Amino acid sequence: MKNTTSTGTASNNTAPARPRLTALLGAAAAVLMTASLQAQAADPIKIAYNGDISGSPSAESGQIGVLGIGAAVEDINKRGGVLGRPLEFLVRDDLGQPPKAIQNMTDLIDREKVSVVFGPTNSGNALAWKHIANQKRMPVLVSSASSTAITEGPSSGNYLFRVSMVDREQASALLAYVKKNPEAKAVGFFVETTGYGQAGLKDLEQIAALHDMKPVSIEKFDARDTDMTSQLSKAKAAGADTLVVWAQAAPLGHLVRSMEKLDYFPKVFTTWAASFSGFPEVAGPKLMEWPVFLTTSSERKSAEAESLFARIGPKLANPSMFWAASQAYDTVLLWAAAAEQAGDTKGEAVRAALESLNKPVAGMVKTYDKPFSATQHEGLTAADYHWSRWKDGKVVDFNDPVLAGLQPADFKK
Amino acid sequence: MLQAIIGGLTLGSVYALIALGFNLTYTTTRTLNFAQGDFVSVGAFVGLGTVGVLTAALGADAVGYVWLYALAAVAAALAMGVLGLPLYLAAIRPFAGKPGMSWVVSTIGFGIVLQSAALSVWGLGARMLPAPFGDEVFRVGEAGFRSQELVVLVLAFAILGAFDLAMRRTAIGRCMRAVALNRDAAALMGIDVPRVMAMAFLASSALAGLSGVLVAPILSASLFMGVIIALKGFSAAIIGGLTNPRGCMAGGLLIGLVESLTALWSAQWREIMVFLLVILVLAMAPNGLFGRKLVEKV
Repeated sequence: MKNTTSTGTASNNTAPARPRLTALLGAAAAVLMTASLQAQAADPIKIAYNGDISGSPSAESGQIGVLGIGAAVEDINKRGGVLGRPLEFLVRDDLGQPPKAIQNMTDLIDREKVSVVFGPTNSGNALAWKHIANQKRMPVLVSSASSTAITEGPSSGNYLFRVSMVDREQASALLAYVKKNPEAKAVGFFVETTGYGQAGLKDLEQIAALHDMKPVSIEKFDARDTDMTSQLSKAKAAGADTLVVWAQAAPLGHLVRSMEKLDYFPKVFTTWAASFSGFPEVAGPKLMEWPVFLTTSSERKSAEAESLFARIGPKLANPSMFWAASQAYDTVLLWAAAAEQAGDTKGEAVRAALESLNKPVAGMVKTYDKPFSATQHEGLTAADYHWSRWKDGKVVDFNDPVLAGLQPADFKK
Repeated sequence: MLQAIIGGLTLGSVYALIALGFNLTYTTTRTLNFAQGDFVSVGAFVGLGTVGVLTAALGADAVGYVWLYALAAVAAALAMGVLGLPLYLAAIRPFAGKPGMSWVVSTIGFGIVLQSAALSVWGLGARMLPAPFGDEVFRVGEAGFRSQELVVLVLAFAILGAFDLAMRRTAIGRCMRAVALNRDAAALMGIDVPRVMAMAFLASSALAGLSGVLVAPILSASLFMGVIIALKGFSAAIIGGLTNPRGCMAGGLLIGLVESLTALWSAQWREIMVFLLVILVLAMAPNGLFGRKLVEKV
């Protein structure tokens, strides 16, 4: 009885089961085929960020840069990707350490087979691996590091492009102002003893020579120094009424605090480092408003920038670092435009296209009209920089008659 | 000049506090806490956190900031002191009194764990802890000072004096000195040696935490600030003599002064002069200026 029932049940079930099974198999096959077809058509293009997002104080700009690239990838994928393929964004933290940065770079190129690398945060790391990018023909769009030497490449082909501050250009802009300012009669250079400060000093000295300008005092301090009164006393004794400072955010904060201790307030001109969170934090609400510095975008003026800020602004501990996201966003747009123009994502093709972009690219910082050429790999130059200062806790535009009177010929480099 | 001397003495007194911490653990356990620097930085951030939490809980103006700051200093000293116990239990006790250098790695390791944990909570950036008596500069002739420099100077000297007194006059102080002098004899006399060792670690970690809160309004707090302070503190202990608490204090002040007076001439020579001094002292008096030779039994 039992057997009969079970057989009966089985046979009862067998009849409708067969077509169901076939249908299932058919559906599975169809799904698999579609998937593989889709995979062929839209195999994602891997792109990567290799930079410091945790290790050094400048990691802040790396973290924000990653947000900017992420937003650009989202936007590009929404409009159908690049060459009909979606972008897949990988993030590698180099911890601010050159050996780790090199390891990431070879891993991204050889194993992950990415099409482009963005970053890094620290100039030293870019200098540590730029030969790898050039040898392996990997396009790199530098979105943050500012050392002048990064985009100087071999004649065989330079694969590094930049949309960021360039130290040499910053030195050129700052000294153009100082030279033009009738109130600046004696200038002093204050630099950190780090690679950043020393490279900055070299740029400053060379450009000062072009202007026939002689600093009355050159003082150095350690990046960990918290008391610069001895250096400032010397500059004061030498009669310096204007200081050009090359330092990171925190020591810059301690420098203005030391100025207060001596009650010696020469005009201070400095780099974008003053927009990093460490500066207002250390300098405090009153002293932070003293220096004038350069940024790539101080106030958000376009609707696109406002909308990007609305998306990632809430994630920023310091909204004044939004420029890091804008620049990084633009690097992705420029690379995507080059890949579309080349019809290919291969390194050589993309590099050639970047050097001869035939359509303007509307970015967050500006509209890039033929930004690069075979000899020019800087997306932003001195004339694109914004003169800025802190006011009521925000970075705002700085304007004065000297600035208004600056002509292109004043920028020597 | 006056500016440099006050600045030098201020930082020097902090080095002295750290050096005293090294002295405490060295004399009682023959080990050094190489995580001392991380206790300084983390202590500063515990102070910052305490101020933040109390301000949020009580409202900004409920009590004067001076009291908030004092509470923050106590909280940092307590928190770091309590953290000194697991450091002692995990990283020191298995190796204390035994030959070998395993404790070097275990204390450094403990410091890295502490720093990494703190990094994940507070992040990388520099923070400013407001000074309890305001940030205004007041002037004496050409020189300008901030109130916190005097606070640090006065408090550090007070703490150093109190320690000096406690080591000579209180029971626990005498126990520590007994253990330092002869561990076996102290144990035979009924002193609970492991407890005294643990107390030494508690006290030295608490000193480090307190130093962190003291210097944070001057140096700005960052999780990397402790390393160099601890290194200078260690140099101070080496110069003054690791075995002599008063020597350690003197060493700290000496290093602070050498540092700031060298900076008057050339800031870049500062570290060079400090470590030249260490080498010079060691060459002439291998146990430090006021140290005493200890025989390590192997």
